[in-house]
Amino acid sequence: MRVSDSMIFNNAALYSDNAQSSVDDATRVASTGIRVQHPGDDPAAAAGIVAHSSALAQAQNLSKVTASANDELSAADGALSQVSDALARARELAVQMSNSTYSAADRAGAAAEVATLSQQVSAALNLKVGTRYVFGGSKDQSAPFDASGNYLGDGTVRQIEIAPGLRQDVSVRTDQVIKGAGGGVDVFAAIGALQSALTANDPDAVRASMDGLTQATGQVAAGRAALGGDMDALTAAKNAADTAAQTETSAVSKLQDADVIDAATKLALAQHALEAALTATSQGFKLSLLDPTGA
Amino acid sequence: MSSLFDILSQSSVSLGAQTAVSATASNNLANSATPGYARQDAVVVDVPGVGGFGGGARLDTVTQKRDRFIEAQLPLAFGQAAFSQAQSDALGAVSALDPNTGNGIDSALSNFFTSLQSLSQNAGDTGLRQGVVSAAQQLAMAFQRTSQGLSQPRGALDQQIASEIPQVNQLAAQVAQLNGQIHSAAASGVQPNDLMDQRQRAVDQLAQLTGATVVNDSSGDVSLALPSGQALVTGGAAASLSVAPDPSNGGHLSLLLTRADGTGPVSLANDAVGGSIGGQLTARDGALKTAESSVDQLAWDLGTAINTAHAQGYALDGTTGHALFDLGSGPSGAASRIAVDSAVAGNPSLVAAAGSSSAGAGDATNLFSLIDVGGQALSGGADATSTLAGIVAGFGSASSGATAVAAQDAAIQSNLTTLRDSTSGVSVDEELIKMQQAQRSYEAITRVISTTTAMLDSLMAIGATTTGV
Repeated sequence: MRVSDSMIFNNAALYSDNAQSSVDDATRVASTGIRVQHPGDDPAAAAGIVAHSSALAQAQNLSKVTASANDELSAADGALSQVSDALARARELAVQMSNSTYSAADRAGAAAEVATLSQQVSAALNLKVGTRYVFGGSKDQSAPFDASGNYLGDGTVRQIEIAPGLRQDVSVRTDQVIKGAGGGVDVFAAIGALQSALTANDPDAVRASMDGLTQATGQVAAGRAALGGDMDALTAAKNAADTAAQTETSAVSKLQDADVIDAATKLALAQHALEAALTATSQGFKLSLLDPTGA
Repeated sequence: MSSLFDILSQSSVSLGAQTAVSATASNNLANSATPGYARQDAVVVDVPGVGGFGGGARLDTVTQKRDRFIEAQLPLAFGQAAFSQAQSDALGAVSALDPNTGNGIDSALSNFFTSLQSLSQNAGDTGLRQGVVSAAQQLAMAFQRTSQGLSQPRGALDQQIASEIPQVNQLAAQVAQLNGQIHSAAASGVQPNDLMDQRQRAVDQLAQLTGATVVNDSSGDVSLALPSGQALVTGGAAASLSVAPDPSNGGHLSLLLTRADGTGPVSLANDAVGGSIGGQLTARDGALKTAESSVDQLAWDLGTAINTAHAQGYALDGTTGHALFDLGSGPSGAASRIAVDSAVAGNPSLVAAAGSSSAGAGDATNLFSLIDVGGQALSGGADATSTLAGIVAGFGSASSGATAVAAQDAAIQSNLTTLRDSTSGVSVDEELIKMQQAQRSYEAITRVISTTTAMLDSLMAIGATTTGV
């Protein structure tokens, strides 16, 4: 083939441009560590990045939300524990004061203690976590119990979505666990019955109040058990979300990130190719009758 | 029988031939880097003499070295390479759909639904409600940015096309004019090599701009036709292109052709033109338009589904029927219009989290309906994230396909250009050798002249001796 000067120069420009472009691409990938920046770099990977990034964000948020809900349930469990302690102490006083050997003054003193226990229960159940009263149901912006133990909240059980279409309870049904809605006993009423019996210095009535206290204790314990189940479910959901987040992070990385060794190798190869192209070009230019060296 | 004077006369003609060879080589060297220049060759022939003696050498003609077979393929290759390169450049420069940039629709979509999830855990919390409104505003802004990122390049392509049209018209007129000049020169017996070079350059440029290819013509004229078959140049007359806004295509420019005979203008479809203009039109109304309208449809479908779910819920003040997004009317342009409803934007308590008017502030029943929209199939049959992934993949495929085709077309064009240069390109070494050769011949002829002159002098000296001068 006849070789003209325009061929030599055009091809030299083309080859060195191509080599330079390859070096530029390899440098970009090696320096940024990102393989897919534009959808055209790898259309299927770009679509995968969108889908996996979304799943990653959801999993990370779910992990945060479940952790937060679990913290709240943990605080609620602490409050119910205080209620259980108060009921236990009330029952202890009931057993003690049902004995006829105690005087009216003793029972009056016990009645005062029971009144304090009632206030303690009320204070424990007016627990506020962050901006919300956790025992108020959906009416969680104000204290759910007044000084008399009246419940101002509602029977709503709050939920969070832990997977598409799968919801998990994240609050206590206070109207049932504390106020005995649906066939149970009112914790405040049970404590109040003891307090009234003690104030009236009536050992029989004190003895009679023990049943209510026992029922209330069981009711709170059942509430705590349900709450424990919810916490376990949330812990499992959080673990699943963390695992999903790791999986999605890995998937996004596999699709988007460059393999460091591969990127470095490609960069070295591209640099060698550029060097070779430039060397060949400069050598080609020397082979001319116009070469001043006369070579 | 040849005389000494005949030799001198022949030498004079031969010197002229060698001068022409040298001048041709010199012209070739001067044009060795001129694009489209076809090297010239001074054809020297021997002059028949009388009486068995030769008559020396003379310049017969100066021809151009051209490979018509290769040259016939070049306009198409130029047109295709320019077409795919223009399309690849246009799509490659769009970053609106780059994945995982942190400020695209993908991130904003995730943030919006996670903000709802966070609010569902404490629906009465003012900060979380503000978070939902902010995430909704970010989502609207991401749609607007993406829409702008897709519509702006389409507008820029309009400007580019409009700026190339005068060049097309000037080149087409130039080819028509050169056809006439070449015709006249050829008729008068002159080889119009330089004019043919100029015409070839204009044809190459027209092919790159419009994809116009040469139509064979028995008259020797170069006529050009657009890929759709419409004539751009017919002999000595040229058609002209113009642009006008097309109301049916969002006001983007469409091409019009006024024929060489002055009739028209007629509207040209996008695929009637190739080259860089055709590539730009295809990018503008192909992948870019598809992506833009798909993003509009996504904004409309998603916004409508969210608004429907939101309107069923109850705000903190017990009111219902609020829309979360202001979408305007119809899917067309929805992504550029979408904004958070002004009432909700100014009052996050209007986020309709509750399922009933009597529920407390902590009721998140309706938030679950809103969260479920994220997984709900939209008009295309897929959920919002999958729809977006499909848009990204579709645009990416168009871009990567255009890039691959551009590389392939560039290789074909490079190969053909190399083949043309192999025949028509100037080799400096070759021309230098030709000049050396001509110089040698020239020196030899001058030696002949000096020798012949010496012979004549000798003859004159004999004459002088005889006559006693």
